[in-house]
Amino acid sequence: MSAKGAELVVRALEQQGVEIIFGYPGGAIMPVYDALLNSSIKHILARHEQGAALAADAYARVTGQPAVCMATSGPGATNLVTGIANAFMDSVPLVIITGQVPTVVMGTDAFQEVDVFGITMPIVKHSFIVRRAEDIPKTIALAFQIASEGRPGPVLVDLPKDVTNAVPATTPIYETRRQKRQSPDPEQVEMARELILGAQRPVLYGGGGIPIAGAVDAFRAYAQASGIPVVTTLKGIGSVSTREENFLGMLGMHGNRAANRAIQESDLLICVGARFDDRATGKLDGFAPKASVIHMDADPSEIGKLRFADAGLLGDLAESLAAMPTGLAIAPWQQWCAERKAEHAWRYDAPGDYIYVPHMLRRLTEEAPDVTIACDVGQHQMWVAQHCHFDRPEQHLTSAGLGTMGYGIPAGIGACLARPGARVVTVSGDGSIMMNIQELATIKRYNLDLKILLVDNSSLGMVRQWQQLFHEERYSEVDLSDNPDFVEVARSFGIPAFRITRRDEVEGAIRRLLETEGPLLAHVCIDPKSNVWPLVPPGQSNDVMMEELSA
Amino acid sequence: MNHTLRMNIYKVEGALIRLLGLIERRGFAVTSMNAHPDESAQHVEVTVHVHSTNRSVETLTRQIQKLYDVRSVACLTAAETPAVVGESMAC
Repeated sequence: MSAKGAELVVRALEQQGVEIIFGYPGGAIMPVYDALLNSSIKHILARHEQGAALAADAYARVTGQPAVCMATSGPGATNLVTGIANAFMDSVPLVIITGQVPTVVMGTDAFQEVDVFGITMPIVKHSFIVRRAEDIPKTIALAFQIASEGRPGPVLVDLPKDVTNAVPATTPIYETRRQKRQSPDPEQVEMARELILGAQRPVLYGGGGIPIAGAVDAFRAYAQASGIPVVTTLKGIGSVSTREENFLGMLGMHGNRAANRAIQESDLLICVGARFDDRATGKLDGFAPKASVIHMDADPSEIGKLRFADAGLLGDLAESLAAMPTGLAIAPWQQWCAERKAEHAWRYDAPGDYIYVPHMLRRLTEEAPDVTIACDVGQHQMWVAQHCHFDRPEQHLTSAGLGTMGYGIPAGIGACLARPGARVVTVSGDGSIMMNIQELATIKRYNLDLKILLVDNSSLGMVRQWQQLFHEERYSEVDLSDNPDFVEVARSFGIPAFRITRRDEVEGAIRRLLETEGPLLAHVCIDPKSNVWPLVPPGQSNDVMMEELSA
Repeated sequence: MNHTLRMNIYKVEGALIRLLGLIERRGFAVTSMNAHPDESAQHVEVTVHVHSTNRSVETLTRQIQKLYDVRSVACLTAAETPAVVGESMAC
């Protein structure tokens, strides 16, 4: 018997090696859900489509392979949008499958019809509407290829219900060919080599492109062999171990002062898989003002987009890095950087009895060096980036480009499923957690071993901090002191939970999180006035770093 | 600066709107345009006149080139001095 379109969808996914799909069923996607019953693919039911998309995003980040999320037409599709944008901004390979109303009623404002193809056009790498069932195998194969090749990104496949219900006359099996990675231009490589050999104060500025390109080992090898000081972006954290001697920290708005000072002093910036994002550079024309730039990237449109590149190495990062010179005479610069690193090392001797979150996070990763941390967005996200230790970039899941509050729990779910048995902790805030609180039900349903460290300052802390500093303490809609009782909330979902409020309870809480089997939520009440320091005010250059205000 | 861009794109659903959407989103105003199928009827020749005060047309052409449905893109105007986004106005 010939297969229906929906069966071709599932077969095409199986052919791509898909083991898990994150999704939520509904009217227009029902034929595919029916076909899934006959497949070995495991479907993870999220409780909101956004949770499905964000969990798939994290699954893709951890595995390095395209992940799949699926929803029905209309509201199912629009609920995916934030997750798609999140994957787009952070270059995450995602294949999104949406049901659509039948082709004959498309464009008639049918029940649960939205033009998701049109809505998502600015936030996908590419997208398809499949109008003939026989095109399904080829389209799905292309979607996986496009999502993962070059600079990865989300690819949407919109499937009208009549197409998934149709039985095509022929069912071609379509295979795509992998593109070979591009090699950098030899002339540009030579120019980059000369720039490095002539530099007195070079800095490696590493970004999220390093893990995406599978170039972590190459980056480490070059950093080690050359001795060039390293700073990373938020997404680049872990590209060298954060314990590494020549690692100065994250740069940018909430970066380490040593990292920002090294960049500002440098005469050569070697940008590896980063994109001069405004949170990293501050005021652009004040960023690394004395430096020439070598820019290595897989995306041609990034080189020279925001900062002129004296040498642009387009193509495979590992190949570019391997061609760069070592044996550099930069000892005085290395020493200057080491001194700045010591001078601006984080301090954990905060006064008072309130729980000091930076220290708690540091202690967590000291006790569990293998931990994967899935972050939400806000002050706690910056504290994780500043204070946690990471040996690999996949250990740090964070919504960097889009800054999606609500990422933490779905990302933790995706990470648990990507690496069964791995230790995963979601670090969330009382604002962020409420944005996808329904996914506690997903944790329970699949009995995922996800720990949640909920840092609660009874406010939208980052917004409150900005209102304090930049809006003359005019606090507008940031008070969350009427939060629900999060311990009771977790328990009502069947997830054990406990609360701590004092500094002397921190060590016990960390032990409990690390030693308990199964899901557990730790509700950590902190000083509502805590802020993230240092801070480069928006629109300022990175040498204007504000330090903690005296009380 | 005014520029003329000539593109050859696949004649597939969404290709034209994706192209024009990208041009506007990246900070260029479309001042006029012309689109017609080429001899094969598989592709569309698109000529677009654009205007921008502060964005690099070289970067735009590379962004257009990345679109999956774009076969070729050429900027028909003379090379410009590189535009630089001088101020970080991000919030």
